[in-house]
Amino acid sequence: MMRKALPFAAALVLALLPLGTNSTYLHHVMVLWMLYALLALSLNVIIGYLGELSFGHAAFFGLGAYASAILTMQTGLPVWLGLIAAGLVAGLFGFVIGYVSLRIVGPQFAILTLGFGSIIYTVTNYWDDLTRGPMGINNIPPLAVWGYGPLGEARDTYFVVLACVLAFAYACHALMRSRTGRAFLAVRENAPLAASLGIDVFRTKLLGFVAATVVAGIAGGLYAHYLRVITPELMSLQYMAALIIMVVVGGRGTVVGPILGALIYVVLLEVLRAFGPLRLIVFAALLTGSVIFVPHGLVSLWRPWRRRVDPAIRPELAP
Amino acid sequence: MDWTLLGQQIANGVVNGMNYVLISTGLTLVFGVLRVINFAHGEFYMLGAFLTYFAMSTLGIGYLPAVLVATVAVGALGILVNRLFFWPLRKEHEFTVLLSSLGLALLVTHGAELGFGHDPKYLNSPFTDDILEVGSIVLTQQRVLIFAAAVLVLAATYAAIRWTTFGRMMRATAQNPEGAALTGVDIRFVHTITFVLACGLAGLAGALVGPVAMIFPTVGSWAVLKGFIVVILGGLGSVPGALVGGLTLGVVEALAGGYVSLGFMEAIGYAIIILVLLWRPQGLFGSAAR
Repeated sequence: MMRKALPFAAALVLALLPLGTNSTYLHHVMVLWMLYALLALSLNVIIGYLGELSFGHAAFFGLGAYASAILTMQTGLPVWLGLIAAGLVAGLFGFVIGYVSLRIVGPQFAILTLGFGSIIYTVTNYWDDLTRGPMGINNIPPLAVWGYGPLGEARDTYFVVLACVLAFAYACHALMRSRTGRAFLAVRENAPLAASLGIDVFRTKLLGFVAATVVAGIAGGLYAHYLRVITPELMSLQYMAALIIMVVVGGRGTVVGPILGALIYVVLLEVLRAFGPLRLIVFAALLTGSVIFVPHGLVSLWRPWRRRVDPAIRPELAP
Repeated sequence: MDWTLLGQQIANGVVNGMNYVLISTGLTLVFGVLRVINFAHGEFYMLGAFLTYFAMSTLGIGYLPAVLVATVAVGALGILVNRLFFWPLRKEHEFTVLLSSLGLALLVTHGAELGFGHDPKYLNSPFTDDILEVGSIVLTQQRVLIFAAAVLVLAATYAAIRWTTFGRMMRATAQNPEGAALTGVDIRFVHTITFVLACGLAGLAGALVGPVAMIFPTVGSWAVLKGFIVVILGGLGSVPGALVGGLTLGVVEALAGGYVSLGFMEAIGYAIIILVLLWRPQGLFGSAAR
């Protein structure tokens, strides 16, 4: 009984979290945490469930952000429709890019996605007429909820994004217990064997990839309407690396891992401000150390406990 | 059609391409032998340029000796890098090693920003002002030096891999590490020397190209992206592939930059990769991975 109640208790704690403080700054950090958590959870579908490393995920986040910002500003579309459009645009690109690159596996796939991400970044940076280039877009309309009007405060946004995170986390959990989820794991562990069992490896991978990019696009839309300013830097190499760091340091292939990883990333960057110019060096050192000493992510530190809770989700087998 | 202009663009492209070859040979060697994608490879290119700069300003030596000092120093750094970041992780999943190298790249870049400052620096070479005319095509002597040095060093590297005992050990390790170890090959030694070679080549590229471009701490990410394009184009792990891929990229970029737009030049490199991979997923010279 205890075990089944645990996720609900965690969700309740997350929902009550912003009520514990009146600090707008802390609320802002919490919103960033949830946005990154949503993004990291979506990347986790590719890294953790499909077993491929994508370096292009930040590009889909950026595509969603730009799609929603441009559509709502130029056509006067309501923000919630903009968010749906963000998901669709990112998903469409995800389909095309996945279709081309998922035929290739391993390091080549990682570099190919890096290439696609860089193309999208370069085009965004140079297509002045549409994206205003490096200056970025500002005055993006804020999030709005029916019967409530625009969400001005960070705390309100937190609840909206938290709802998305919880819904997607549940979806991931449900997926991994379904037939499709088992197909994902079979493809990850041994693609030729999976193919011999009648699983269409390419279609399974494409399905996971497109689903992940749709969610990344929606996260991008939420980000654009929350911060109300976006620049092409959203898709830079630094963000692409940061996303992977969140998933791997937290623990790939789990639901808790990416959410934890996003928290660590956001909190660490804030706390390390005290180090001044040394901040990024300390950050890189912590990252490298954690990858070398805890290769399966922080979640693996309490693996015995986790195995009892969720036998379906195992840490990745050694190659 | 202006043929002189076209010839000039192609000549510039070939020189740039030779530089890409120099960067990506190390990347492809490390992948071939260790099965590792080294994200930090561009950082050695950056260090090569900066060490040349500091060797000239603090030791007061000329450009060519400084290039030698920088190349050797960056190569020696390869021993340390392999020992700390790659050798301990050799049995881990490929993600772990990739991320370890990404962490190393961030460490070196941010460390360099702190140590060397953000401002771009100019590397002085006695050859940048003098030109060499071949017909109606004009090249600076520095560019000729880049080309000549690259050809020489690459030929030597290729010959070493092909015909020496060490080269045979390296190829054996690349094909089957366990088998090579069983026949008495010291895998650890092979890994170390591969890294020394790779880092040295990247450092040499930085030292040679420094005078024709500005040098700054984040230049490594540019170099590693070019290296990735080249090795994917040519096929990961293939030295001839790096040569063909590098020259192709250099020439296509020069033509695209000259006739289309400088802005989209970067995207064009990736567009070529995609076209090539649609046709040959393993790259021009690669064998199917996994």
